[in-house]
Amino acid sequence: MKYLFSRRSLVGLGLVALLSGRAHGQPVFRLGLTPVFLDNDAAVIDGLRRALSRGMGRDIELVQRRTYQEITGLLLDRSVDAAWLCGYPYLQHADVLDLVAVPVWRGGPRYQSYLIVGPEDGAEALSDLRGGTHAFSDPDSNSGYLVTATDLRRMGEQVESFFSRSIFTFGHRNVVRAVADGLVRSGSVDGYVWEALAVIEPDLTARTQVIARSEWLGFPPVCARGDSLNSEPVEALQSALMGLHATEEGRQALASLQLDGFQPATAGLFDGIAERMSDLDP
Amino acid sequence: MKWFAPIALSIKLPLLAAAMMVLVGTVASQQVLRSLAQVQDARIRELARMHVEGLSVALGPLVLRHDIWEVYDTLDRAAQAGEGRRMVLTAVADERGRVLAATDPRRVPMDSDIAALGGEAVTLDELSVDGAAPILSLLAPLTYQGRTVGQIATELDVSDLLAERRQALVLLILGNAIAIGLLSVAGFLAIRKMLHPVTTLARQMTESGGEPRPIPPLEIPQGDGELARLARTYNAMVGAVAARAEAERRLADRERFVALGRLSSSLAHEINNPLGGLLNATDTIRTFADRPEAVRRSADLLDRGLRHLRDVTRATLDQNRIDPEDRALGTDDFEDLKLLIQPEVSRLALDLDWLVHLDGADLSKIPAGPVRQISLNLLLNACAACRPSGRVGLRVCAAAHALTIEITNTGPGMPQAALDRLLGDGPMSPGGGVGLRLVRELVNGLGGRITHAHDHGATVITVAVPTHREAAHAQE
Repeated sequence: MKYLFSRRSLVGLGLVALLSGRAHGQPVFRLGLTPVFLDNDAAVIDGLRRALSRGMGRDIELVQRRTYQEITGLLLDRSVDAAWLCGYPYLQHADVLDLVAVPVWRGGPRYQSYLIVGPEDGAEALSDLRGGTHAFSDPDSNSGYLVTATDLRRMGEQVESFFSRSIFTFGHRNVVRAVADGLVRSGSVDGYVWEALAVIEPDLTARTQVIARSEWLGFPPVCARGDSLNSEPVEALQSALMGLHATEEGRQALASLQLDGFQPATAGLFDGIAERMSDLDP
Repeated sequence: MKWFAPIALSIKLPLLAAAMMVLVGTVASQQVLRSLAQVQDARIRELARMHVEGLSVALGPLVLRHDIWEVYDTLDRAAQAGEGRRMVLTAVADERGRVLAATDPRRVPMDSDIAALGGEAVTLDELSVDGAAPILSLLAPLTYQGRTVGQIATELDVSDLLAERRQALVLLILGNAIAIGLLSVAGFLAIRKMLHPVTTLARQMTESGGEPRPIPPLEIPQGDGELARLARTYNAMVGAVAARAEAERRLADRERFVALGRLSSSLAHEINNPLGGLLNATDTIRTFADRPEAVRRSADLLDRGLRHLRDVTRATLDQNRIDPEDRALGTDDFEDLKLLIQPEVSRLALDLDWLVHLDGADLSKIPAGPVRQISLNLLLNACAACRPSGRVGLRVCAAAHALTIEITNTGPGMPQAALDRLLGDGPMSPGGGVGLRLVRELVNGLGGRITHAHDHGATVITVAVPTHREAAHAQE
């Protein structure tokens, strides 16, 4: 995938390479990434890694896995030092995990879950999708599963019986592809990812239409184990994330991610998700 | 093939050559197309096998887990790759035949029955580009770790291969048509040129009224080839035939003079004998001029002798006349013959039986000359064949349709060589005269027939000549 942000990132990569000498002498920091829209673009991943590496003054290893569960597991068993999770798994393990930072998108730390269908589909709401096939992103994703599942629960329905078949694609971009290609009738997708794709892959999102948007919910945060929140590496990560907008490569990385920046997060940000969780599993 | 027979050789052979070329071209084209089809089939099978095996390896664990998205994602990425242009559709089903995913999910939805897609699908080994269908359907088992975990249905677009085959066919037809056309024209001209001497030979043999003419030297092919030798041999044969005809003509003339020569001594005797009596009569007239009775008797004697001489002379002249055929046969002719043969009969002291019965017969169509020559030759031969005191006979009778001349003699019989000359058309053995062959040719010319018999010490040669030539022709 080649687009404007990738080319800009490549310019920055050269500068980062020149200054990379600063990173020597520190242990490698491992940051886990959930499969957000950018996970299929090596240039975006690399730009983020280099920007954070420069900000933290050490090498960073970005660890990717297929499912949220795997990344959460890595964080819980300390295989990674921190991870960019989703609000839902964070709340599932809120007793162990703590918030490091939360991205700012379109001026705030919140996003929506979108319900999408094909462009020719006449459905106007979730209730119109009964008996169809549906694509979720991940069973541990807020926007890609929890929102729709709780909406159905609130309608008195079950995912398993409402849809004729539901599949997990383990990637928000995959949900958009599955709906756009006609593999499934509808999908639950991260609104931030859909909007970002609308910019960089408009042909893909043009083959879908959004029929429902959830309330604004807490954006997927960067988390660390609570017992390591005050450790030097995690604090270094926190300051690097907060200072991304201050450096050129940081701005390029943010631009690639279509984010405004990062800010400190509070637990109350995720109350909406917590509410849905309680609806789903009262 | 009767219609083919009347066509000239110079057309027939080039046509045959062109037909052979068409046949060879057709067979060769068929072989080329068959080879092309085999290559295409092998290519498409190999491609399909690689496709199925590659997908089996990639999809095996995904199908086992029923991981629909991953199955679809793998198929989709494979379809984006190069072979996607050939594989227009691929669908993967689980072991129960329920579709997990397809490259075109709208056409083959999830959970549909794969059998509905593969209605006319064939197995990998049956895959063939034969037929006009631009899309081939393949249904193959999806094997993973030695067991069948699902099925793969694939539609292959072979329109390019069919187009390639059609193009090859068109090119072959065009190429063959042009090549055969050019070669046929060239072959036609070449064979026509090669056959030109044969055409000339046939024309010289047939277009000259049955009388072969030599080929002009300019039309004889150069060199020493078969046709040049054939033309020269033909010219030599034409020359030999002409020389033979000339020799036979000369021999026939000579034979006539030979016959006359043989007669001349007898004639001299015939003339000489009465001369003594005539001279005596003139002496008597001179001596007894005063005795009117003696003068009258002598004058009568002179008259009879001179008349006899006149008859002999006339008969000889008639026999020797150059163009005697214009006159029709009559009783006089046989009287002449008797007059002519009598001296020979007398010289050889033979008895002559003479019976001519022509009353009422219509002999207007029978020329006198040939019949006289035939009869005279046969009579002379009969005389020569007889021993002294033998008997020679001529018996002529005219029936409604034929004049029969029967010559008999009491000689010892004709030798085989003489019979061959008289009764056959074969080549004459050297040494013999041509008189008997002349008889045969004259009889043939009259449309007649010769038979020979030797019985009770007598040889009988019978010549039957039709009184009407048209009737004879009709009978033939």
